[in-house]
Amino acid sequence: MAERTDDSKMTATPLTRVLGILGIAAVVFMVVLGLFISPPDVVQGEAVRMLYLHVPSIWIAYGSFVLTSVSSLLFLVRSRRREDGGRHYDRVAGSAAEVGVVFTGLTLITGMLWGKVTWGTYWQWDARLTTTVLLFVTYLGYLALRRLPADPIVRGRRAAVMALISFVNVPIVHYSVDWWRTLHQKASLSVGRRPEITGEMYWTLLYSALTVTIVGAWLIIHRYRVIRLEELRDEENLKMLISSRRHERSADSAADGEVS
Amino acid sequence: MSEVATVATGWGLTFVVIVTYSLWVVSRGRSIGRELGIGEAQPSGLEQESDLSPDT
Repeated sequence: MAERTDDSKMTATPLTRVLGILGIAAVVFMVVLGLFISPPDVVQGEAVRMLYLHVPSIWIAYGSFVLTSVSSLLFLVRSRRREDGGRHYDRVAGSAAEVGVVFTGLTLITGMLWGKVTWGTYWQWDARLTTTVLLFVTYLGYLALRRLPADPIVRGRRAAVMALISFVNVPIVHYSVDWWRTLHQKASLSVGRRPEITGEMYWTLLYSALTVTIVGAWLIIHRYRVIRLEELRDEENLKMLISSRRHERSADSAADGEVS
Repeated sequence: MSEVATVATGWGLTFVVIVTYSLWVVSRGRSIGRELGIGEAQPSGLEQESDLSPDT
């Protein structure tokens, strides 16, 4: 059994409990706002309600991948200097990437459903959809790389490099609708451009983004904690294995001594 | 599929995915925490039991 050390304090939970309760309350209000209070669109009708899931999902995915990249960069810079190899940054990168992948998957699912109603097809190999699915697959590859057996620091460095390479696709996904002719509409909200939507729809979209951010933050914090626990367990298992090997070797030496 | 059915499917699937993933993360934390004995540790001093629990 592990002794309670300073490491165990990382499992402190009051913040995540408050965040969790806040998240549940926010989701309930988001359902009421998104499904009942906000009006149907003049052109798209009820289908516009997919906007409140689809757009915030990709925003939180972008945010998660930004966090993954920044943490990966910090890990690469600091892993040589710090005693613990800067593994904190590696954990942040891993947890954020996993949450980003979940939300990218949700973006694809909600987008396909929305596309069926508005475009008449679930899928079209246009620039936005293709680059998004590529984003999903490259970060899945990143998560797979993190699971390969290797020294944690070496594995962390390999993963960090892959995270930085994968991030190149994020701006390509975002600006694909501006750079190429696509079936996908242009961004609903964009810095320096007048919003495409207004009124209750606009506020519902912003509120949904806030809600999804709270849920995403809760998930990243928890996933970080679980990665830390996995590392502690692996360290414990390694210590036990080494101690059992030493015990076996000393028993063998004693037996050899008796024979000679 | 009608607009209402699409919206219901989209929102329903989203909640199923997020709830399933959240439960997986929490249960994995609990199970490893239990394995390490972190959740069973007795609090001392000013620390609260909740500070050590691998629960949410």
